[in-house]
Amino acid sequence: MSTPLSTESTGSRLGHMEGNGEISDTDSGIILHSGSDSPTTHTKDVTTHTRAMKLKHQELQDRLEICILELKKLCIREAELTGRLSGDFPLLPGEKPPQIRRRVGAAFKLDEQSIPQGAEDSELSLVDAELALQMKIYEAARKLCDEDRLSKAVRKSRLQQCKREEMKLKQLQEVAFQLRLEHGRSSPLPAFNITQHDQGTSDDSSLSDSVVQDEEVTSQSSQPSSGLPYPSESDAPQPPPGSVSSPSSRDGSYSSPSAAPQTLQLTPCQSPHPSLDSLSLTSSPLYDLPPIQHSPWTESSLDQPYQKTKKSRSSSKTSPAKSEVLPSLEECLGKSGLPLQLSHLKLSRAQSNSTPSTPEMRVHRQLSLRISNPESSFGHEKERGRIRGPRRRLTEYAITLPETPPCSVNYRNHTNSEDSNSEHSFSSYNSSPCHESPCDLPKHYQSPMLHSGPVSPYGPAAFPRTDFYLNPKHQSSPSIHKHYYNEEVVYSPDADLTQSYYAQQSPCPSNRYDYWYQEAALPHHRGPRPLPADIRLPPSPAQWDHHPHYQPAGLPRQVVNEQLKSWHRRSQLKAPRSRSLDRQGAVRFKNTPNRESPSFQSQKYEQIIQRRAHQRAVEDPQGHWDDGSHLMSQV
Amino acid sequence: MSVNPGQPVVAVVQRIEIKKLRQGENLILGFSIGGGMDQDPGQNPFSEDKTDKGIYVTRISPGGPADVAGLMMGDKIMQVNGWDMTMVTHDQARKRLTKKKEDVVRLLVTRKSLEEAVKQSMGKKYPCYKQ
Repeated sequence: MSTPLSTESTGSRLGHMEGNGEISDTDSGIILHSGSDSPTTHTKDVTTHTRAMKLKHQELQDRLEICILELKKLCIREAELTGRLSGDFPLLPGEKPPQIRRRVGAAFKLDEQSIPQGAEDSELSLVDAELALQMKIYEAARKLCDEDRLSKAVRKSRLQQCKREEMKLKQLQEVAFQLRLEHGRSSPLPAFNITQHDQGTSDDSSLSDSVVQDEEVTSQSSQPSSGLPYPSESDAPQPPPGSVSSPSSRDGSYSSPSAAPQTLQLTPCQSPHPSLDSLSLTSSPLYDLPPIQHSPWTESSLDQPYQKTKKSRSSSKTSPAKSEVLPSLEECLGKSGLPLQLSHLKLSRAQSNSTPSTPEMRVHRQLSLRISNPESSFGHEKERGRIRGPRRRLTEYAITLPETPPCSVNYRNHTNSEDSNSEHSFSSYNSSPCHESPCDLPKHYQSPMLHSGPVSPYGPAAFPRTDFYLNPKHQSSPSIHKHYYNEEVVYSPDADLTQSYYAQQSPCPSNRYDYWYQEAALPHHRGPRPLPADIRLPPSPAQWDHHPHYQPAGLPRQVVNEQLKSWHRRSQLKAPRSRSLDRQGAVRFKNTPNRESPSFQSQKYEQIIQRRAHQRAVEDPQGHWDDGSHLMSQV
Repeated sequence: MSVNPGQPVVAVVQRIEIKKLRQGENLILGFSIGGGMDQDPGQNPFSEDKTDKGIYVTRISPGGPADVAGLMMGDKIMQVNGWDMTMVTHDQARKRLTKKKEDVVRLLVTRKSLEEAVKQSMGKKYPCYKQ
């Protein structure tokens, strides 16, 4: 505002000066008008005076204008350098301050130069260069849109232009991205960058990038500064000085827009090339190394304390017995039709409770049921899972033998295959920890009932001994049992002997060993008496392993235990099968402790088996599935 | 459950409350889980999407607490007591489920049948429901 005032004052001063210099002028005017009449000379003098003064005024004004223009130029230039119009800029009363053209052109040039340099492939670098340029253009257009003090028409046209530029930019970005993908530099990060650009936040260049660019800028900006007016911006009115220094929120992310306008201009121009390089470098290792290595898909039971997680496989004690039991169940089912088995189960149960009709079946059932009795009592003293399964089985054997001595072998073997079913269920039942306590009562209660049946005269006799053998002392002498067993093998034809031995064996806590002995001995039996081989109990892996070990008498118990442990491990690895089935049986058992409704039970069994079969069907296709299944045992 | 990145995930979930069975020191849940961030999702027999690293119920012990509560084999566990189970390792999930202090676990599970049922009930109105 000072400048308009000064012009006025100079104008008035001029007037004074003109008044002072009238004489000379009038002289000349007089001279000019000398030819005219004297009376009119005065008036003529005045007119010439004024004319001369006007001339002078004009001249001075012209000068002033030139000066003002010069000042304006200087101011503009200063503004171009500093980014802000100085307050000295001469403004006429109605005049708006001119828009300052910022030196975007320098940035363009820089980008164009820097991009192709590093890029190896021409196509990509070309696109990148274009992209950088377009980015600048779009940015400029966007900023133009953001300016205030725009007429509606102008704003509208600028918006349109901005959109156009944005479209172009996106297309270019797409092209560049595709190219990059083709060149195997596909990393998600460049794409991310591009999307960011789309959103208008083009100033996300990394610090290092901006630094590099700054250096380039400072070195080069001096040269292009003269060639400021760039076509893209030429028509764009620059924001007023105030608005220039108050960049939009987007610009706020620039390091310091007002302080360093040049770098500000240059940094935002995201040169794709540097970012690409750095990104691809950093991102590729990420791709190569997934953060988490996959281990094979496994399952784990949730019924064990968490600490056991990884070791549960080797340490789980119940599982081996089960795993061993289960495959045999499968085989049994396969061999002797499922329905038949089920009916057997049903019958035997019912009979054992009330009046037995079919001796054989009944015996088996009873046996198996009875078995649980000593078992459960052991459960208190001993570790749960480990000893159970085998024990039960032993018992079973023992009892079956006495029943029909002559055909004992045959019968027994048959029993094996068949009973394995029922036995499995029961054994699993016992082994499942949840039922330990509840099942004890029912079983105890049960056993007398079973004994009352006509089945085996020796059964009851054997039972008392069970108690005797419950005594932990006997556990430590597996050799004794073995001895028994051997005897049994030899004398098996004699019902009495066998009976007694078996009976003794069965309840004894260490029947696991016995069991194995027995199994081992089975071939002996077969030798003298013809046996259908297929009926035999399917050999469990453990059998093979331990048979030789246990044959020699009197192994120290620790050694035996170790053997057992290893067997556990192996059997776990080999035969992971349907624990759930067992469990189900166990659960049902618990639910019907008194055996009042055997049919109900058998129904359950059917369900179980069917379910199991279904499950198997689901699982079997997946080979890996079996691996973890043994973990289920503790559920 | 297929998940498209960037798309919201819609899951039909069922709340299941399992009361753990105390057995001496052990707390019995009556089911087994498989999966987790650290396991190969491609081997999961229950998941539709073979990249799903979620925790799945692999086994239910019949009559056990989980069975009683209505948990089913193949269910995907989304939450346990409010804790996310879709982005955890196998052991984390285990830990979460077998906390000794907690006698009750509340699960959010999703299963295919559930989703299908909902889908059917919604009819064709939402064809891209699962997206």
